[in-house]
Amino acid sequence: MLQLIDVTKSYPTPQGPLFVLDGVDLSLARGESLALMGESGSGKSTLLHLAAGLDVPDRGEIHLADARLSDLDEAQRSALRRQRLGLVFQQFHLVPSLSVADNLTLQARLARREDPDWTRHLLTRLGLGGFEGRYPEQLSGGQQQRLAIGRALAARPDLLLADEPTGNLDEAAADDVLALLQTLIDESGCALLMVTHSARVAAPLDRCVHLQRGRLAGDEA
Amino acid sequence: MSSRPAPQPRGVFATTLATLLSHYHRHPGQLAMLLLGLWVASALWSGVQAINASARDSYARAEALFESQLDRIERRDGQALTLDDYLALRRAGAPVSPLIEGELRLTGVSDGTTATVALLGIDPLTLPGDSGLARRESSATALRDWLLPPHRLRAAPDVADAARADPRLPPVENDPSLPPATLVSDIGVAQALLELDRQLTRLVAAPSARFALPERLVRIPARQLASPGQLADSFHLNLTAMGLLALVVGLFIVHAALGLALEQRLGLMRTLRALGVPARTLVGALIVELLAIGLTGALAGILSGVALARWLLPDVAASLDALYDSRVSSQLALPWYYWLGGLAITLGGLATAGSGVLWRVARLEVLALGQAQAWRARLARQWRRQALAGSVLLIVALGLGAWLTAAGGATLGQGGRATLVAGFLMVTAALLGVALWLPALLAMALQLASRALRRRPLWQWAVADLQLQLPRLQLAMMALLLALAANLGVNSMVGGFRLTFLDWLDQRLLADIYAHPEAGDYARLHDWLAAQPEVATLLPARHAQATLLLDADTDSASRAVPVALFGIQPAPVLTRQWPLQSSVAGRETAWRALRDGAVFINEQLARRRGLQAGGTLTLRGPDRRERRLAIAAVYPDYGNPHGEIVMPTARLAREFAAPPGSLGVVLAEGSASGTAREAALARLREGVAEALAIPGETLTDQRRLKATSKEVFERTFAITRALNALTLGVAALALLTTLLAQAGARRAQLAPLWALGVSRAQLVAVQLGQLVGAALATALVALPLGIALAWALVAVINVAAFGWRLPLYVFPGELAITLALAVLVAAGAALLPARRLWHSPPRQLLEEFAAT
Repeated sequence: MLQLIDVTKSYPTPQGPLFVLDGVDLSLARGESLALMGESGSGKSTLLHLAAGLDVPDRGEIHLADARLSDLDEAQRSALRRQRLGLVFQQFHLVPSLSVADNLTLQARLARREDPDWTRHLLTRLGLGGFEGRYPEQLSGGQQQRLAIGRALAARPDLLLADEPTGNLDEAAADDVLALLQTLIDESGCALLMVTHSARVAAPLDRCVHLQRGRLAGDEA
Repeated sequence: MSSRPAPQPRGVFATTLATLLSHYHRHPGQLAMLLLGLWVASALWSGVQAINASARDSYARAEALFESQLDRIERRDGQALTLDDYLALRRAGAPVSPLIEGELRLTGVSDGTTATVALLGIDPLTLPGDSGLARRESSATALRDWLLPPHRLRAAPDVADAARADPRLPPVENDPSLPPATLVSDIGVAQALLELDRQLTRLVAAPSARFALPERLVRIPARQLASPGQLADSFHLNLTAMGLLALVVGLFIVHAALGLALEQRLGLMRTLRALGVPARTLVGALIVELLAIGLTGALAGILSGVALARWLLPDVAASLDALYDSRVSSQLALPWYYWLGGLAITLGGLATAGSGVLWRVARLEVLALGQAQAWRARLARQWRRQALAGSVLLIVALGLGAWLTAAGGATLGQGGRATLVAGFLMVTAALLGVALWLPALLAMALQLASRALRRRPLWQWAVADLQLQLPRLQLAMMALLLALAANLGVNSMVGGFRLTFLDWLDQRLLADIYAHPEAGDYARLHDWLAAQPEVATLLPARHAQATLLLDADTDSASRAVPVALFGIQPAPVLTRQWPLQSSVAGRETAWRALRDGAVFINEQLARRRGLQAGGTLTLRGPDRRERRLAIAAVYPDYGNPHGEIVMPTARLAREFAAPPGSLGVVLAEGSASGTAREAALARLREGVAEALAIPGETLTDQRRLKATSKEVFERTFAITRALNALTLGVAALALLTTLLAQAGARRAQLAPLWALGVSRAQLVAVQLGQLVGAALATALVALPLGIALAWALVAVINVAAFGWRLPLYVFPGELAITLALAVLVAAGAALLPARRLWHSPPRQLLEEFAAT
């Protein structure tokens, strides 16, 4: 589903280039879930952004859903993201001017893959039934994150990329969101790459890898 | 949700557009401000252009008639031509055509009112074939209908119905090519209607026709007859400049509103990009959004502009009539290109204001990495670039100012159009130059204030916070600066003009009563008035025409030009007060020189022909004799578009065959004021009626003349003032838009202060203080800019447009009003957001605090 081969990424600084990722190799199979762990600044989010085609590596190759990202132009990468990926951010990034219902179906509509039954199912599973007409700021943090997960899954993506999806939530809300995420992933059959720094959050996933100073330190099943 | 049918897939573009537009659904105020900015800008611009287009249509029709195509033949003494003059010329073989012109009061108008129209009588058989009038009657049928009873009469569309209702007139045909309020008929019909037996107004001839004229007649070539369009050109240029200023200030609102709409949607756009919307789709959706908003705003603006023009046009028409003797229809006539032009300029302005937004979106980084850190450095770079561009514009303005000061007297017809355009360019460059410097100046002032307020932490915070707000406030502040400077500049110019004009009126209208008798009554009236005990002095005045012979090096293209002569009685009561602008050796000497054979010239003639006091000029009178005359003084002559030469009345009558003109009556001391004056005027009116059988209304109270002149003056500047006030209103809106749009974000910044123990009352005071302080600082920059603008208007633009220079007045009251306006505008704009903050429940502040 996803394969990173010798991926390197650096940012220019006044002191010279800062290598955030340095020769990373990683693969993720269809339906598999993987936790990407590491401390702040270890390069986790950068790896996620590269995998989503939001940024391009200095060196190396990224294969996503049978496509080599470096072969695709900006519009093709956008189409791939729209059709095959789901993204969940730590800051939710919901659209404040759209209602809960419209936020939920936003990506599905962009991908022309709106499925009312699946949307209804998601809404129930997310515990947002009856909240369709509300706006994001009228929801609690946990509800907003659940809505963000729903939005990412509404288009039935092949791969869900989640960046610290529980980083902004308290422990109870985080557990609630993780359980929901796991269930929905199982139901939809998509792969999951989740960035986290919490072992407790990573524990239920199939695999766990550690990033240290831009390099993969280990792979645990 | 369960009852919703499966929606049709809308696709990436439609979903993106709908998502972008949903922002306005949640923030309708922002959309309203955006539309309001476009609407106001477009309305003011379109209104001014509608007035200009209608006036140009009227000028074009007047010019197409004949005025600028045929030479005129008139009597040197200004008296009416007779049929005998015409017949004598025809017998001598001169291809001239007779023309009469007069005012006709139409009766029988259905609503009981009367209409006054200009009636032209022509002779289609002799009228030179190239003129518009001649072409119309060229067919045999048309000619027969025209010449034979019941005859035909052609009427401009605005008076055609009124003409049809008048039973005295022959059958009326509609003629859209005629100037407003004009009728044309056969000369015989016109003579009967105007009761001008055997009298002609003038004779006309084709410019190419060669023939000799007797001594008493003068031929004025068509090329020397200024067309109404040329004369009023500067008036319209002034209007256009004011309209352009309003458009620019309006576009500042649009720019500010668009910038804020982008700022608030950056997160949304990044999300859309992350969800797979390509950059091109995003930019395309934004273009569609801009177009939809632009078209709505522009159409609303153009329609409102037409309504505004319809409201202002009667005043403009009256001003043009009073100032330039130009008949402009008070009904709008808008060509097709007016509508397209209005749309194009509004959409063009929107594109200019929106191009920056589109550029930013096209280059939008999905991952906003390190942007917060780079913000301060980027802002400093932007202000440096702005200041640099401002410096370049200020250098251009200074350069143009130096060139225009050196060019001095060039006025209309002598490269004056170029001077006028250069003048407006100078003003634009100076205004924009200072506006571009404003953010940098405010930032420097804030830095100084921050140091000074170290011991007052709340106000130090307020200053630091204002520094953060400055990037968002800068456009609104620039708009405020432009509006305040324009307001001060224009009001100083108008105020100075009013003072000078009223002063000049008092000096020129010295007599208490003015009489304009018929030529035949002149001598009798003069002698009768001189014998009355109420009359202290009589001031007879006459007018004549002569030919001014120019030195070859002054103007080689036209060595001989017609010039107006004005005869005055240099009695002590007049010489004590008559205004002189410059003389060789003081007033006394100048007046003595005038009595001894010298002349005075008005400022217009001095500037146009490069003449000055101490020089000489050569005049050729009706006797063909050339007289070299000393110029003893130059006098100001506000409101007169033409050059003029003054000499004693007696000399003018003797040497230039000037016919009798008006009589000024200075009342004796006991009758000159209060009720005695009224009684004296009444007695004199009764006296002339009884003793001389001359209508008492021949005597006009000087105060009525002054009142009429003042009314014309006020009307002339009514539109300038209206546009000025609207521009200031637009600037206030720009500020309000900016403040409202960022009110939410502001509350989030104020919430931590509230949490730290600053009361809501203090927070409101801080908000008001911040904005009023910034507006006052802006007004302080606007003061010198406004004074510079006033100088440019009186010393450059007025000279180029009208031929005279006004003294520069700086009114302390106007300066105080400018500062007060700035405070008022800022406080007015800040009031609504401050009120919202005041009414915010503590719970909401708490939530915002938690969110920060």
